[in-house]
Amino acid sequence: MKRFREIYNYREMINGLVRKDLRGRYKGSVLGFAWTFINPLLQLLVYTMVFSVIMRNGIQDYYVFLFVALVPWIFFSASITGGSSSVLASGDMVKKIYFPREVLPIAYVTSAFVNMVLSFVVVLLVLLVTGYGINFVALLYLPIIMLVEYLLALGIAFITSACTVYLRDLEYILGIIAMAWQFLTPVMYASDMVPDRLLPIWNLNPMKSVIEAYRDILYYQQVPQLSTLLVAVLLGVGFLIVGAIVFDKLQKGFAEEL
Amino acid sequence: MDKNNAIEVRHLTKRFKVYYDKGNSFKERLLFKERNAHEDRWVINDISFDVKKGEAIGLVGHNGCGKSTTLKLLSKIIYPDSGTIEMAGRVSSLIELGAGFHKDMTGRENIYTNAAIFGLTRKEIDSRLDDIIAFSELEEFIDNPVRTYSSGMYMRLAFSVAINVDADILLIDEILAVGDAGFQTKCFNKLKEIKSNGTTIVIVSHSLGQIEQICERSIWIHEGKIEAEGKPRDVHPQYLDYMAQQRSIIAEKEAKRLKEKEAKEHPEAQKQADAQTAKEEEATEKSKEKKVKTRWGNGDCKVTEVRMMDSRNIANTSFNTGEKVVIEVDYQVIKKVSDGVFGIGIFRSDGVHIYGTNTRIDNLEVFDILQDGTYKITLDHLELLPGNYILDVSIECDQGIPVDFYKNAVKFDVFARIGDVGVSRLAHHWDI
Repeated sequence: MKRFREIYNYREMINGLVRKDLRGRYKGSVLGFAWTFINPLLQLLVYTMVFSVIMRNGIQDYYVFLFVALVPWIFFSASITGGSSSVLASGDMVKKIYFPREVLPIAYVTSAFVNMVLSFVVVLLVLLVTGYGINFVALLYLPIIMLVEYLLALGIAFITSACTVYLRDLEYILGIIAMAWQFLTPVMYASDMVPDRLLPIWNLNPMKSVIEAYRDILYYQQVPQLSTLLVAVLLGVGFLIVGAIVFDKLQKGFAEEL
Repeated sequence: MDKNNAIEVRHLTKRFKVYYDKGNSFKERLLFKERNAHEDRWVINDISFDVKKGEAIGLVGHNGCGKSTTLKLLSKIIYPDSGTIEMAGRVSSLIELGAGFHKDMTGRENIYTNAAIFGLTRKEIDSRLDDIIAFSELEEFIDNPVRTYSSGMYMRLAFSVAINVDADILLIDEILAVGDAGFQTKCFNKLKEIKSNGTTIVIVSHSLGQIEQICERSIWIHEGKIEAEGKPRDVHPQYLDYMAQQRSIIAEKEAKRLKEKEAKEHPEAQKQADAQTAKEEEATEKSKEKKVKTRWGNGDCKVTEVRMMDSRNIANTSFNTGEKVVIEVDYQVIKKVSDGVFGIGIFRSDGVHIYGTNTRIDNLEVFDILQDGTYKITLDHLELLPGNYILDVSIECDQGIPVDFYKNAVKFDVFARIGDVGVSRLAHHWDI
C-alpha cells in the first residue's frame, strides 16, 4: 500500500513520460500522429484480404469481427514486447537516481493504452459509417473491459520488463511469444472453431476472455456474459498482483545489472 | 524507529560481484559457465549509524572506501545484501545532477521533467518554478533548449531543481563544485539555510572544510567499516594523519621505483629519458614562454642530487604544514667556480612563485666553490598550506651567471590538519 501511494506521488513523472512517448513516437515521419490511426487500419486491410478474400471463413462482416479484437490485441502485444525494454531503455536514469522503478513500465503501458483508446475512436467511426451500428447499453461495458485489459497488460509488462534486465534475449524471444500468443487467442477466428479436447488448456489463456468480451460488446452487440467478465477481472487483478510482486523482488538489482 | 531520528542504518552490508567477463545473453550464460566467474568484494561491511532529524553529517574516507556506496544505498538506487535502512520523509539526492535532462527541451520543460523525477506533482512544481529559475540565475535562457547551455549553466539548473524539492532528507555527493565561485558560495549558503529549516543532510565530500562548516558530525569510513565517528574537528585530523602516512608510503615506493629504473638503464638512455620527461613536463607547464628548459648553466659545477629531509631527518616528498625541512643539494665540481651563489626557489604546481632566495640575497660571505660537496638550507617552519609544490635549486657564479640551474628538482606535497586556506600560514593569534 505504501508502495502504491509512492507511485501515485510520482504521477507527474508518469504523465511526463507518457506525453513524451506519444509526442516522440512518430517524430520525424511525414504523417506524424496520424500513424496512430493508419497503422491499425492497414493491418486490418491485410488481415481482411487474407481471411475473407483468400481463405474465406464464412464469418459475417469479418472486418468488424476482426477489427474489434485486433485493436485491443495490438495494445496488449505492444505492452508485453515494447514494455519489456522499458526499464532497459532508461538504464542511465535507473543507475543514477531514485524513483519507483514501476513508473517505467506503467508509463509505457499507459502510453500504449492511450493509443488504443484513440484507435477505438476509429473503430466506433467505422461501425457508424458502415451502418453496422452500436449497442449503446453494451458500450457501457467497454471501459470496464478496457481497464481489465490494462491491468492484465501492466501485470505482464512488470514481469517482462524486470526479467529483460537480467536476460537481454527476452526482448527478442518475446517477439515470437507474442506472435504465437496472437494465434492462440481468438483474434482472427472465433472460439467455437477450437476443438473441444483442447478447450481445458485453451481456456487458460487470460486474453481469451478479454478478447471475447470486446467482441461481445462491439460485434455481437450484447452485454458480455457475467462469467466472461468475472474471469477477465479476476485474471487482470491476479496478474497485476503477481507482476507487481515479481517486479519488486527483481528491481532491487536493477542498478547493478544495467 | 526512534521518533527523533531521520535515518537509521543497522548492520548494513553490501558486496559487489566483480565479474571477470560477464555474459548477458542466454547463450552466453548457458554455454560459457566460466564467464560467470566472479569474486565478491565487500564494499560495506557492517555499518550502523543514526542521523537525528535536522542533523547534518559528513561521510569521509579515501577513494573506494565505500562512502559513495553508502549514499547510493541511502537513496535506494541499490539495495543492501543485509541490514536495514529506515528513513523518515521525502528524500532528495544530489548525486547525479541533471540525470534525465533532455538536451532538446527547454530549460523550463526540463525543470518539469526533472522535478517530476523527484516525485513532485505538477502543482508543486508550478509553485516552485519561480524560485527554481531565480536561483539558477538563468532567466534569460530558460526558454532556450538545454543543449545551448554551457556546462556551468547546465549544472546550475540541475542544482536549482534538486535543492528546491523541499526534501526532509538531502543526500549530497561531492556537488558543491557547481558553477563559478560566486554560485558555489550561493549553493553553500542555500544549504545552510535549508539546514536551519530542519532538513537532515548527509554529505559525501573530499572537501573537509565544507563538511566542517555544515556538519555537526563526521563519519570516517575505511574499508567498508566505520573507523571513527564524532565531531568533524576530532575525526578529520585522524583521517588526515592516516592519509599523510599513506601518502608518504606511496611516495617512498615511487621514489624507490624511479631509482631502480635509473640504475637499470644505461646512462646514455637515461639522458635521453631525462630529455623526454623534461619535454613532457614543459608541455604541461602553463608557462607563457614556449620553450622552457628545465636545466641550464655553463656546467662548471653540477648538482648531482637534491633531497628534502623531514623532521625525522628522512628524505621525503610529503610534509605537514609547519614541519621543519632541510633541503640538501649535492654538487660536483668540474671547474673552479669563483664567487659562487647557492639558491632555492619554491613554486606551487600551478606555477605561482611562493618563495626564492640565495646566498647573495641573504648576504652571506662570498666564497669560491673548489671541490665536491653539499649545501644545506634549513626551513625551520615550512608554512605552506596543503597542495603540490615544486623545488628549484641553483648554483650561480658572480654577476648571476648560471652554473647549474635545476628547475623541478623535487616535487613535494604538503598536508595539514587545520583547514585554513590560502597559500601560506601566517603566524597569528586571536584576542577576543
